[in-house]
Order: sequence, then C-alpha cells, then structure tokens
Amino acid sequence: MKRIGLGGITGNPGAFAIVLGLMVLLLAVPLTHNGYVETVFRNILMYAAMAYGWNLIGGYTGYVSFGNVAFFGLGAYCSGVLAAHGVSNLFAYVALAMVVCAVFAVIVGFPVLRLKGHYFGIATLGVALAVADIIANLDVLGGSSGLAMHQLDEAHFSTYYYAMWLVALGSMLGTYFIARSKLGYAFVAIRENEDAAAVLGIAATRYKIIAWAISGMMAGSAGAIFAPANGFIDPSITFAVDSNVFPIVMTILGGSGTVAGPFIGSLLLAGANELLQRFFVKAHTLFFGAMIVLIVLLLPRGLVWLFGLRGGVRAWIKSVQVYRA
Amino acid sequence: MTAGAPATRTTEALLVDALSAGYGDTQVLWDVSLRVDPGEVVALIGSNGAGKSTLLGAISGIVKTWSGAARYGETSLTGLEPDRIVSAGVLQVPQGRRLFGSLSVEDNLRMGAYLRKDREVESDLKRMLDLLPKLRERYDYLAGRLSGGEQQQVAIARALMARPQMLLIDEMSLGLAPVLVDQLIELLASIHQTGVSILIVEQDVQTALEVSSRAYVLETGRITLSGPSAELLDDPQVKKAYLGV
Repeated sequence: MKRIGLGGITGNPGAFAIVLGLMVLLLAVPLTHNGYVETVFRNILMYAAMAYGWNLIGGYTGYVSFGNVAFFGLGAYCSGVLAAHGVSNLFAYVALAMVVCAVFAVIVGFPVLRLKGHYFGIATLGVALAVADIIANLDVLGGSSGLAMHQLDEAHFSTYYYAMWLVALGSMLGTYFIARSKLGYAFVAIRENEDAAAVLGIAATRYKIIAWAISGMMAGSAGAIFAPANGFIDPSITFAVDSNVFPIVMTILGGSGTVAGPFIGSLLLAGANELLQRFFVKAHTLFFGAMIVLIVLLLPRGLVWLFGLRGGVRAWIKSVQVYRA
Repeated sequence: MTAGAPATRTTEALLVDALSAGYGDTQVLWDVSLRVDPGEVVALIGSNGAGKSTLLGAISGIVKTWSGAARYGETSLTGLEPDRIVSAGVLQVPQGRRLFGSLSVEDNLRMGAYLRKDREVESDLKRMLDLLPKLRERYDYLAGRLSGGEQQQVAIARALMARPQMLLIDEMSLGLAPVLVDQLIELLASIHQTGVSILIVEQDVQTALEVSSRAYVLETGRITLSGPSAELLDDPQVKKAYLGV
C-alpha cells in the first residue's frame, strides 16, 4: 500500500493511543485476585474481539451481518471437540477455531455475500440460526445438553484471562494494520460504493469474502477461549442473542469503521451493564436501553468521533443536526 | 504530456464486434459494432434506455456479454474480470459520479490508483492537482460534500489516476450547469492531448458531437447511424431526433 501512499482509515490516532494504553492497564486485572472482577473484564475483552470482528464486515465493508455469533459458537465448539480428544492447549483451540471459521466464512460467503443490504442481514441471521440448530441436533457435540469442559485449576485460572486479552489485542492490532493497508481501502471502497469499486478494478466479491473470513476468525477466537473459561458449552450459551447483538451495538456506539471504536464501545457497554445490574437489580435494562438511545441520538457517529471534534459544543450540535437531516 | 495529465499514449484500438448483452431475459444490445482508434475521441449518442450504459458496462466487464466480442488491441475483453480490464488500460467513469462519499478527495484520487504497482502515484497526484486547481482547494474535503461539477472533476481525476489508455465516460454532463459542462469539455480536450482515447456516452448530443471526431447513434440497442461528428451534426435525421431543430 505504501506505493500509492494511503495514510490509512484508522480513525483518530489519539483515540487509538488511549485504547492501547487501556489495554496495557487491563493486563493488571488478574492481580486483583478477584474472580468476579476478572470475569467481568474477560467478558469485556471477549466482546471487544467480537466487536472488532463485526467492525470489519459491518463497519469497514458496510455489510451489516446479524450472524457473526455463528463464528463465536463454531469457535467454542472447536475447543469443545479438541478438549474431548484430550487437547488442552489454548493456542491449538484458537488455531483450529480460526481455520474452521475462515473456511466456513468462505463457503457460506460465496452465496450470502452476493446479497446486499437487508437481504444480507437476514441471510446471515438465518446462517446463525441454522448453525445453532445443526449443532443442537448433533449428538457427537452433546446436542442440546451441551459439553462439559475440563478447566484449569484456580491457581492457573487467570490463563484464560490473558488468553482472551491476547485475542482482543490481536483483533485490535489486526484491524489497525488492515485499515492502514490496501486491503482496508478495498473494504471501505466497497462500503462507500460497490459499483465504483468494481469499475476501478477492485474485485468486490473477493474482498468481501476476505473481510468476512477475518471477521469470523476474530469472533471464533473469542469463542475458542470462552468455552474452556466457561467450563461448559451448549447451543443456547454459545449462540446467545446477546453475543450476536452486543458486538454490533458496541461497535456502533464506539464508532464503526474505526480502530478504537469497538474497544471503547465494549468497555463502556459491558462495564455499564455490569454496574447497572449491581445497583439496579430490577430496572437495569431500562437504564441500559436509555443509555444506548441517548448515545445514538447525541453521538450518531460513535464516541470515538468526539476525539476528532473541533469547535466545541457548537460544532457538536451542528453535526448532530447534519447527521439527522 | 503537454497538459500534465498522468496518462499513457495509446497505440491500441478498441474494437466492439457484433456485441449482444442484456439483463436476465431482457436483451438490451443487438449486434453492436464500433471502433475507437488510438488517440481518437468518439461519441456514442442516443436517447434514454437506448443501451448506452449497458454497452460501456459490457466493455468494462460489469455487464455480462451474451455474444460477440470486445477487444482492446490484442487483448480480448470479453469474459475478463473487471480488474483485468482496468489493468489492460480500459477504464470507465461511471454515470452519476459514484464517488466514495465519506472519503476525502485525496483518498478518492488514491483509490483510482488501486491496481497500480509503480512508484509514480505521488507525482501523478501532483499533476492531477495542477490540472484541476479546484481540487487542490478541496483536497481534504469529503467527496460527498462537493458540488456536482466538482464531484464530476473528482470522478474523472480518479479515473485518470489509474493511468488509463482508453477512457469510457458515461453521461459526463448529466445534471450540470452549462458553464460547468464547458469546463469539463476543456478538461477532456487536455486529457485527449496526452494521447488517451476517449469514448463518451452522452444524452447531450450537441456537446457530444462537438467534442468528438466520430460518432455512433444507438437506438433501442442497435447502431443505426455512424460517421464523422461534423456530418452527423448536419444530418437531418439527427437534427430532428436529437437536436430539436
């Protein structure tokens, strides 16, 4: 890409620097020796990896997928199968999940990525439901009653945390380097105008499939670590509606099509969800929903966008009006 | 390189031979034949729905060719993927600009050089801004926020960044004020001076015939008339049907 000198579509560099700093801080979480805190932050990292995955296909390439949970679930079951064969190496889990998810994305992508807009969204939703149903009916994979997985003992339990941290970091840095590369520009060209991209010689189908495959590899890796960390997987946990919707909402709130957005979104949303659940046991979903609505109304382009804002409150009000019009 | 446009002088001719194409079950083009000689400006005129854009689509590989062939020099374009056709030097400026709206003018121009692997992209970019000073002012603007005339300039500049030898320009003047159209015609002339062949497709028949040396008339998917543009301007049939005289 250097040859044509593209600077990269990474979003605000300041936001990315802050996010990297936060990632380093998150390394300290297991030092608290508090299992609850560790689980909360491991989930934030898990959602972040899934959000980065969704960001590539939905944010950068402009194909809004409602089926990325399929990759998460497939990744989790990859670990389940390996564990049943006595493999306990987390790297092996992630490696298998990435291969399986990439292959699955390519096979499914050929027919599904021909669809555009709502049709693509609905088709991906169908893919996710179908995968969940197939697994629920496969006795080899435990069917609907699921698979129990052997877990590391308490002294080594933080390994799962660090593994999830690595998956999130890998997804973040992967997104950064893709966004700076010619690949990222192909994705954005497809999002902005698929016909124009084709006319300029950007082979849209090929790049869409690449975007979806990498997207799937990120979500699958998160699933591969989630499975042993959770100790048990079944179709309703691994193909949960939350796991499908949260990464999308997180990406959009943080700023879709940016490198910092998905992480900021998942930190805020998963963090806020956790806090609200603690302090408002009954009404927490009400506050949670209200918060999402407010952010979408007041920051239509996501939180990251605040970093690039010049001109204070006036510029902000103007941009909200422009975006709505 | 008198006008400074980054382009390659072409020595190849574009040949379309008995080409038929369409969408689904609907045939749009029927045995269309035309040629554009090296360095020539040729116009393809015709009314709405005559199949002009379909023909450009078929040449650039976006629309599937049913039968017949399109060749550029030695290269057969029929059945080739669009990216290969761009690499061969044939590039389309699509109708309605089709810019990457939320990217800057700079990124739009760079995107035009997507398939290039040489190291002269930066210098081409500079030359492009010399050629179109207006774009220098708008360099950091989002392409979607520009006026129609500016957008059309970006679209043409973006296409030139691919260093095409043969430009196919679809409805350049559509929706633009006459004064802007005049500017674009000057731009075309300077591009043409660098040796690029141009096939323009226009509903604005007067303009098309004035800038081109030869022209073809496409009616309901068939070429019904062709000849030197100056002659077609005086042709009673053309006058009656397209010039309203």
